[in-house]
Amino acid sequence: MAASAHQLRIDLTVNGTVHGIDIDPRTTLLDLLRETLDLTGTKKGCNHGQCGACTVHVNGKRVLACLTLAALCDGADVRTIEGVGTPEKLHPLQDAFIAHDGFQCGYCTSGQIMSALAALEEPWGPDDAAIKEAMSGNICRCGAYPNIVAAVQEVRKSAEGGRNA
Amino acid sequence: MLPYYHSYTNDMEVDLAFERPDNLELALDALKTRAFRVIAGGTDVFPAVQQGQLPSAFLDVTRIAGLGGITRGDGTTRIGAATTWTDIVRAELPAAFDGLKEAAREVGSVQIQNAGTIAGNLCNASPAADGVPPLLALDARVEIASAARGTRVLALSQFIQGVRKTTLAEDELVTAVLIPDQALGTRSAFEKLGSRRYLVISICMTAANILLDAQGRIAQARVAVGSCSAVAQRLPALEADLLGKRLQDVTVSTAHLSPLSPIDDVRGSGTYRLDAAQEQCKRAILRAGAV
Repeated sequence: MAASAHQLRIDLTVNGTVHGIDIDPRTTLLDLLRETLDLTGTKKGCNHGQCGACTVHVNGKRVLACLTLAALCDGADVRTIEGVGTPEKLHPLQDAFIAHDGFQCGYCTSGQIMSALAALEEPWGPDDAAIKEAMSGNICRCGAYPNIVAAVQEVRKSAEGGRNA
Repeated sequence: MLPYYHSYTNDMEVDLAFERPDNLELALDALKTRAFRVIAGGTDVFPAVQQGQLPSAFLDVTRIAGLGGITRGDGTTRIGAATTWTDIVRAELPAAFDGLKEAAREVGSVQIQNAGTIAGNLCNASPAADGVPPLLALDARVEIASAARGTRVLALSQFIQGVRKTTLAEDELVTAVLIPDQALGTRSAFEKLGSRRYLVISICMTAANILLDAQGRIAQARVAVGSCSAVAQRLPALEADLLGKRLQDVTVSTAHLSPLSPIDDVRGSGTYRLDAAQEQCKRAILRAGAV
């Protein structure tokens, strides 16, 4: 599509790569990631802020890409699931999701992992109840919740062990 | 034609604008020129509009210096308009703010709390806004600025006027929420009922701020209920009856709930909401009063 007078120039860093993009100011960060940058790991579930499938990190904080205007992210540092691990070397949290069977259909999984990654850096308590509250913004329609909590706990405990070692 | 996945129509007639001022003066000047949808976290902008009807002009207030953060002074606690719910959850605040913190932890999800702001919650003016009852119970004021008329401050109960309706003029911006020091000695609690524990819109919610005297009698009481009327309401008759009472003598009657007019909707019937409100009032008062 040709650039129009209505286009807005934004610069943002996604998974370490700097992009300068002309956007319609009404574009959501989710559409920008998926449709312009072809980063389709971030999922569009409800597109309404009710499911968490589109969770990404903006300047280190987890937010919902479907409710975030891309224009608000001018100058921001964005991290998506494509910036976490590689097929050859998964992030420990990705390994833990596999080990604990933390998914069935997998649609919510990238959002779950982005949320859990942020939660592990946030001030939450160590018990399952705290993990459940921390992860309450990510719906899993397959109902893998106990396995997701177990996966997050494994990574939390090994990080804690690493700090204490 | 744009593909279906976009949230707006590809209407080239629309005069799009996206302003991102870095100081208040520039923001207020911009507001003089045309109608803007003020945006910070954006968490209520998309759900509030039908697909294809997004606003065409946005004013991004997240880059305005000094619009976020919590400060004390001048007889008030000042919560900057762009303060997020996560900022509030993590701030060190007196026990009077515990109810507001409990509400902050129940606004949507952490992802929404990281983006959504206190002033956005008030300006969106949803009857189910979780921030409103605890702020009413804190006797909050809203600070509003405009280029033409300077600054005005009014009670939160005056600011929100109806469902998605406030007194804010098109050239005005909410700059802060102010909590008078008089509320600081109180203790508070917040009760929320939804169809599940998290990530849910309130069926009914109640906030209470209570101060006990040395004899354990209630010396100050403010109780506010949300999702049970077009605008969350304080319950003046209940508050008056609480004064002088010990916690074990607290009763909440249906007459106390007379300012409420809950509707039947997909989330619950009006009768159910009134039942819930009555129980929540008692729980919130007892929990706020418990030392």
